[in-house]
Amino acid sequence: LLTTMPSYKLSYFPGRGLGEVSRQLFHLSDTPFEDHRVPMDEWPAYKDSTPFGQMPVLFVDGKPLPQSFAIARFLADQFGFAGKTPFEAAWVDALADQYKDYFAEIRPFLFVVFGFGEGDKEKLKKKVAEPAINKFFGILEKRAKDNGSNGHLVGNSLTWIDLQVSDHIGVLELYLPNAISAYPLVNEIRKKTTTDPKLKEWLDKRPVTPF
Amino acid sequence: STMPAYKLTYFNGRLRAEVARQLLYLAGVPFEDVRVRRPDWPALKSKMPFGEMPVLEVDGKPLPQSFAINRYLAKEFGFTGKSPFEAAWVDAIADQFKDYNIETRRLFLVLLGMIQGDKEQLLKDVGIPARDKFFGILEKIAKENGSNGHFVGQSLTWADLLIADHVKTVNILLPGFLDGFPTVLDTVKKIESTPKLKEWIEKSPYSKF
Repeated sequence: LLTTMPSYKLSYFPGRGLGEVSRQLFHLSDTPFEDHRVPMDEWPAYKDSTPFGQMPVLFVDGKPLPQSFAIARFLADQFGFAGKTPFEAAWVDALADQYKDYFAEIRPFLFVVFGFGEGDKEKLKKKVAEPAINKFFGILEKRAKDNGSNGHLVGNSLTWIDLQVSDHIGVLELYLPNAISAYPLVNEIRKKTTTDPKLKEWLDKRPVTPF
Repeated sequence: STMPAYKLTYFNGRLRAEVARQLLYLAGVPFEDVRVRRPDWPALKSKMPFGEMPVLEVDGKPLPQSFAINRYLAKEFGFTGKSPFEAAWVDAIADQFKDYNIETRRLFLVLLGMIQGDKEQLLKDVGIPARDKFFGILEKIAKENGSNGHFVGQSLTWADLLIADHVKTVNILLPGFLDGFPTVLDTVKKIESTPKLKEWIEKSPYSKF
């Protein structure tokens, strides 16, 4: 049964941010897509053409889909990176939403270290970043152990939550060099994920951006 | 094959568990609806996978995080739209709602009397802008979807349940707040008149949130 592949376009800013996991899913599955990067100064003109006034937006045969996790999950489902059973897929979702909660907690620190606003970095590191990291990465470390310390957060194959966590660790380490030193199993997951041959191909050639 | 045993554990409120309860009820699936009293929570906290509720147990295996639970049940019972793309749009609306929740969190905590704060200031600085952005999106989506009583597709999805439950809370805490979004309000009315859902709502204990 031959079916034509849909045409895909992913619109996002030039950085990794909320678009990188989806880009990685395309590369991991060898699926061609238009990696549409909208520079900050072109964004205001583009904004009103997006469903929610935000990016990323995925276009599937020209039909738009907003919200980074909806996009990542949709692509992961299509390409086989969403877990092997409905319950596994639900655990990938649960960890992704826990990441989202964590990110909301650590955002005030990241906002300042990314250079988007003023603030006391040391104070934010102690009062905001460290508690958020300890809580979330503690959960991940236990999860990694419960999952059999096999280099994955869910099941025994790569899923999009492995990609999300690994990408975030890369960002975190730019600003907090030993951020996950207390979480060896999580580090194993990051290592296994980032040395996946297909992913490594992309990681080695992608544009370098601060976040 | 036999149906799995479902148990849902949460506080005695709607907030993050009501959609899951509704999905199970709409599907006609029996489930244990555990409502934890506040004083009993500290002793249970460390038993939950992420230290929080709700938690769904499926044949004793736990699953945390309300949207993961909602989506899992919705997929099992047919409330995620009719295609993967529709299911993704249900997810997108739910996540946009989550963003709006994060923005308005302080306001709602003040309205519920859970923290101190300046209600008028929060309404002006946070509530109204967040409302206009999110409900503006919903109003447009409902219209573009044909004002058919659903936010996505032609049948009930968990995004419909999520929005309808939140609108119920807003109508209790801030009457008239959503008057500028008539298609949304009409969509919610239609959702709530789904026979089995109406049954559930009528027999559920009243809860402010």
